[in-house]
Amino acid sequence: MIMFNYLKDTPTIQKISINRSVLFGIGLLIFLSIAGTLLVPQFGSYANIRSMLLLAAFLGLASLGQTLCALLGGLDMSIPYVIGSSNILLAALLNWGVPWLPACLIVLIGGLAVGILNGVLSFRIQGQSLIMTMGVGLAVVGACQILISTGSVYGGTVLGTVPQWLRDVSSIAGTTFGLPIPPIVIIWIVVAAIVVTAMAKTSFGRSFYAVGGNRLAASRILISEYRMWLIAYAISGGMSALTGMALLGFSGGGFVGVGDPYLFTTIAAVVIGGTSLMGGWGGYGSTIVGTLVLTFLTTLLVGLGLSYAMQQAVFGLLIIPIVAFYARDRSIGDQI
Amino acid sequence: MNLNEKARSLLTRNQHLLTSVCLSAFLLLVAAFRAPQLFSSSGIGSAIIVLAPLVLASLAVTPIVLAGRGGVDLSVGPLLGFLNVTLVAWLVEYGYSSPTYVIVYLVGIGVLYQIIIATIIIYVRVSPIIVTLSAYLVLTGVNLVILDRPSGVAPEWMFDWGNGATVFSPVFFVLCGMIVLWAIFSRTAFYQQILLTGGEERMAFASGVNTVGARFGAHAVAGVYTAMAALCYTALIGSGDPTQGSTYTLSAITAVVLGGTSLAGGRGGGLGSILGSICIYLISYVLATFNFGTVSGFVTQMSTGVVLVMSLLVNSAISRPAGETK
Amino acid sequence: MEVCNSMSDTQNQVQISRVVKRFGETIALDDVSLTISPGEVHAIVGENGSGKSTLAKTMSGVLRPDSGLVTTFGESPRDPMHARALGVATIFQEILVAETLSVADNIFAGADSLWKRARSRAEANQKSRSILKQFSGLDIDPNTPVQQLPLSVKQWIVIARALLSNPRLLIFDESSAALDLDATTRLHAEIGKAREVGCCVVIVTHRIAELVRIADRATVLRDGRVVDELVGKNITKSNLLRSMSGKNVAIDAKVAAESMLGRELGSVVLSARALRVDRDAPPFDFDLHAGEIVGVAGLDGQGQTDFIRAAAGLISSHSGSISVAKPQGLGFAPIDAKTSGVAYVSGDRAHEGIFPNLSIFENFALPLYRSTFGEYGWIKRRQIQRAFDGEVKRLSIKTGRTSNLITSLSGGNQQKVLIGRAFAAGPKIIVLDDPARGVDFATKRELYTQLKEFVHEGGAVIYLSSEIEDFFDFADRVLVFRQRIPFRTIPAIRFSEHAFLAAMFGESEEAEMSFERVGAA
Repeated sequence: MIMFNYLKDTPTIQKISINRSVLFGIGLLIFLSIAGTLLVPQFGSYANIRSMLLLAAFLGLASLGQTLCALLGGLDMSIPYVIGSSNILLAALLNWGVPWLPACLIVLIGGLAVGILNGVLSFRIQGQSLIMTMGVGLAVVGACQILISTGSVYGGTVLGTVPQWLRDVSSIAGTTFGLPIPPIVIIWIVVAAIVVTAMAKTSFGRSFYAVGGNRLAASRILISEYRMWLIAYAISGGMSALTGMALLGFSGGGFVGVGDPYLFTTIAAVVIGGTSLMGGWGGYGSTIVGTLVLTFLTTLLVGLGLSYAMQQAVFGLLIIPIVAFYARDRSIGDQI
Repeated sequence: MNLNEKARSLLTRNQHLLTSVCLSAFLLLVAAFRAPQLFSSSGIGSAIIVLAPLVLASLAVTPIVLAGRGGVDLSVGPLLGFLNVTLVAWLVEYGYSSPTYVIVYLVGIGVLYQIIIATIIIYVRVSPIIVTLSAYLVLTGVNLVILDRPSGVAPEWMFDWGNGATVFSPVFFVLCGMIVLWAIFSRTAFYQQILLTGGEERMAFASGVNTVGARFGAHAVAGVYTAMAALCYTALIGSGDPTQGSTYTLSAITAVVLGGTSLAGGRGGGLGSILGSICIYLISYVLATFNFGTVSGFVTQMSTGVVLVMSLLVNSAISRPAGETK
Repeated sequence: MEVCNSMSDTQNQVQISRVVKRFGETIALDDVSLTISPGEVHAIVGENGSGKSTLAKTMSGVLRPDSGLVTTFGESPRDPMHARALGVATIFQEILVAETLSVADNIFAGADSLWKRARSRAEANQKSRSILKQFSGLDIDPNTPVQQLPLSVKQWIVIARALLSNPRLLIFDESSAALDLDATTRLHAEIGKAREVGCCVVIVTHRIAELVRIADRATVLRDGRVVDELVGKNITKSNLLRSMSGKNVAIDAKVAAESMLGRELGSVVLSARALRVDRDAPPFDFDLHAGEIVGVAGLDGQGQTDFIRAAAGLISSHSGSISVAKPQGLGFAPIDAKTSGVAYVSGDRAHEGIFPNLSIFENFALPLYRSTFGEYGWIKRRQIQRAFDGEVKRLSIKTGRTSNLITSLSGGNQQKVLIGRAFAAGPKIIVLDDPARGVDFATKRELYTQLKEFVHEGGAVIYLSSEIEDFFDFADRVLVFRQRIPFRTIPAIRFSEHAFLAAMFGESEEAEMSFERVGAA
């Protein structure tokens, strides 16, 4: 924390501070690995690493949209609800005998549609995107459950068989082309590679940074803020749907509450990675680091015997100092 | 003419109540047809018992929202839960359960907590959403550590608070007392300073309004109201519950938004939040009269979401200046 | 007025001694000292960016000086709340009101302490109503939300807020901008009253005519420094203008005559017909020719900014049309910022120019990504790098490492990057909105050379500047805006500091000639 003052003022160094936030994260990862290996038996075992990667993959996929929204200065609180909805919706569709491909497409398109709805509704009142997306999420998850449970005796859960291939995709024991790595991890790596490259190397990706950095300047060079806002929320909806489907394979049965932990962990992954919630700074690469830190930390805390509740508390305690480090508001006197 | 003007000024002042007044009137009408037992003595009595924690929690969120900067206290629910579980697990357990101890403890901790939050928001300059979000995570966790499942008992003197057989229960008097207190609070210079700070903080700061004091004060008031919400909540469930308290965050914020208080700050008030809470109660009450069977919970969930979205849209439409073209 | 600096006087005066204020690398106030005595109307004058607003903010406690001391009646204001307690009332340049709150709430903002009301609501309402009636002549319900009122009333609300606080120091920062002439007269009467009761009055303005009428003393700022102090009868237009510009005015005309040399106007490339910059503005026509540099000038808020933004296709004009010549003389098409080949450069870098989160290279390259490689396409870095290197060389931008953040550059070099990116897009017309703001002299010269080259090759330039001297030796003609239309078009041959100022202040050309002998002849 000695770097605090040093980093705060001069902009030249801020550039380095972004890289440093990633370095800081990687340092934290190494620290957590060492601490884990020393304190928790089996931490470094192959089985444990595989399960950590699996959990990181779910979180990483769910945090992609949150990262894009944060880059524009928004938040998407509908992620857990969309994850839950797509989880049970896919289970129900498969149960009703819909072939897997159309079923997955329906869910994915549904997720995208919810995302676009989020974007449209929250664009005019960006400061309130948090509450708006939460409202949309609640409405969606309610509607989804009504749709599925009407005439059924179970509420919120869908029992039924999940196809074997879907189980394989997200199971800890899953293999990819003979490699002993669950396919969902490979999918995450591929998605991450595409996203990180696209964010760095295409004018599409750079447009997010332009809008997040300076809206007016972006509009002066004809980048539509509205379009980027919609795209970010649409991607968020789509990725949440994807995560929800993948989680169906993991848990083996549809359960609407499966998304709940992702309400805050997606934000935590984004913030701990070093992406400012005010827009323009950070990126998916940072979020990947944040995701791994969170997963490693969770495993370590579990290994140390901390309950789920205490893990949440530790995450909460981590966020404020990190945001204070990267993204403080301007003082009021400077705004007049 | 003077009367006419007074009426007009009353109307412009209370424009934000439009949604909640119309909605609650409509819901009351529906309730009168579908479940007239609501209007019986026991019906009103139990409604008050259930409503009290929500009304007080939404009143707790209101001053913080009014003070601007997009400050919504996401941690109001977990704080309520924290006060509930510590009251049951610590005070009752160790015998400090006299009314004086309990109330001093609840208000003291509530205010202290909010002062800490306000300090971080004002001096560390982290946006309120992040601060209260982190606090939400921390308190949710801590609550479960203190009490890992619903258990314990409320202080003895509270035992008969929760039955709600008559209108004039102790909870009714607590609620009325706090509403009267709010009415007084909303007529003070202090409340005015909160509104000015939230309405345009740069203007308030530059004109010499004590914006820091107003923000601290808004949080302190929130602490007091959360404390009383926790008291009524404990009376309602008669025990300690580490998780249900957190659900009050969403309903309280929905009530505030429904009540026409702008999340951008400076516009709205406590009456709206009270009406908003009543709407939320009536929505679930009216929905319960329809035979939705297993899906009734989901219908409530969906309608909460739809109401939240709709009232946000109506609010932003009303608060946009008439002549704005840009 | 006798001023002696004994101890007892500091209790009654406002003293500013050796105040320095920096914003990043620019020095807004550089060792500024002055004294304001009770019963004195003290004007602070200077061109845009000379530091006068910063000085006002330092006096009102909004900004703390980096070094030096502001002593207001014996104490240094810590913040606006403390300043108010000391008797300081400020009317800021921006009309600060809480839109959703009522008129009375806005007028009496800051009057109450946290716990105690200074007056009852009824009294506040009644006072608000009477003071607004007195100022604006309108009977306004004090419960009306401010957002429903016109700008001029909002301005009166802000003025009323200051006057009703019984100030000992009253600071006006360009606060008559939203008022018409009649209202300004009423404001001056109020200022006169305040002076009579022994109030210190500070007026920050660049409306020279206004301050000549009412100021007892005038401090002239240039580039953050006090360059002159005029007292009483010495406060005349000519003295003020000379001090403000710091130039020997006589040279101007000679230089101006050369600016048309060797230039031939081409065909019309941009044409505006019956254009209105806003609903109430009168319509006007305008033609821009290839090979022409048209200057645009005016006092703040006279419509010139809206005009050039409309000309760049960024905003739609309120009515009328702007069209751009199609290639090969195929007639005209309505302006479209995407396809018309118009590039826009703003001098308000922080607001609408740079992306503070991106590198020097990216700030240059961002618009090119889209124009060259499609909206979402793959970036061919090597190709852009070539364009970038070319512009860096041509504009002699000192970049350091191009992967550094843009904010690591000085203001001048940031501006060059922005201009470079406008050139690199290959435009036919370049519209510049005060691009030389906060840019040093040498950089300005280079910019003019580049722009002249650009018009020699058949381009056209619209150039808005807040500094009159920018146009000499550069523009072919200057449109001076006043009351939302081009009030006067001054050809290069008639350029003189006074010709511009006379046009800006709406005076006839003859009047201008009579008060200063230096002219175009």
